[in-house]
Amino acid sequence: MRLLLRVLAPLIALLLAVAGLALVVETVTAWVAPSSSPLVVPWPAWRTAIEGLTWQSGSVRAVAIVVGVVGLFLLITGLVSRRHDVYLADPVPEVTVTTSPRSLARAVGHEVRSHDDVVSASVVASSSKITVKAATLDPAEEVRAALRDRVTEMLVRLPLARRPRVAVSVTTTKGVK
Amino acid sequence: MSRRSRAAVARSAGRDRTLTTLLGLVLVAASVLALLVGYGVFGAYRATRPLIDPIAVSWVSTHVSATRWILIGVGVLLFLVGLWWLLRTLRPEPRPDVSLSELPGERLTVEHAAICDAVRHDAEAIDGVSRARVRLVGTPQKPALRIALTLVEGTDVRDVWADLDGRVLARAREAFAVSALPTAVRLELDATSAPTPARVE
Repeated sequence: MRLLLRVLAPLIALLLAVAGLALVVETVTAWVAPSSSPLVVPWPAWRTAIEGLTWQSGSVRAVAIVVGVVGLFLLITGLVSRRHDVYLADPVPEVTVTTSPRSLARAVGHEVRSHDDVVSASVVASSSKITVKAATLDPAEEVRAALRDRVTEMLVRLPLARRPRVAVSVTTTKGVK
Repeated sequence: MSRRSRAAVARSAGRDRTLTTLLGLVLVAASVLALLVGYGVFGAYRATRPLIDPIAVSWVSTHVSATRWILIGVGVLLFLVGLWWLLRTLRPEPRPDVSLSELPGERLTVEHAAICDAVRHDAEAIDGVSRARVRLVGTPQKPALRIALTLVEGTDVRDVWADLDGRVLARAREAFAVSALPTAVRLELDATSAPTPARVE
């Protein structure tokens, strides 16, 4: 979402600037030299097009709905594009340490996969929650407890500012050990 | 964690987010208002009035000069806000040189690249760090360090911290002759066991 914001923001800014410039240019043209108006934007044609419309007209409603959807999209883009850094406890004042959710998930994934009974595993991490899904050939419950211990112990070693909740789910797959 | 070290973590997208959100709000409000008027919430009679309202038209034709100035004012405002926003969002994040002395006759500044290279060399000498990227952010008067460290698998983060603060940052602080240097460190945990060469030397 941050990439989308990064792309959208200059475009919207450009659009605003162009709209403002067009408004000024057309107003001044209509004022100073009415004979050459409209200069760029064909606003008299727009005016005749919407002349007969009332607020109840279908096309007005359609345009309003489209504008609303675009607005909602911008609103949501602006609201959700925050950073998802995982903060570590500060070693010293004036120093902030962060890591990425992906990097945290990778570290947890290495730890989980290093367990002998785990066949495959996937990890999703954020600063508040770590979700581990693993597959094993052994009874799931024992491996689950072992994995939970491993991840918890690893989080003790890693000085995160806020200890995330750990959710481990293990499934038993068929296969030859 | 101080305010300045926290601000150095990444370039802020706050302005982009605020303006995008505001514009979204304005559009949603306009759309909802138009729909409400159309569905007769503000009176069944108002819903059947033309879009180009005769009352508005008569006001415009009696106040021609005021309308012109209002339109020009709105246009100039939109243009300036759009231009300012465009320039700010497209401008690369500055890499400040650090000014150590502002006294006339003995002005002393250190180039951005020189500082970053020195800190990077120090940081890459730490055990367990396979790669370091360093840059300065902020202003020449109030610089802050941003360091990205790629750690080898199995490295203890606390050891890296101790080295980083005790050797790397201590030297940087000494060089700048400051007691505290706001620093944001970004760790890439367990990246690879083999050090990857830096893309840009």
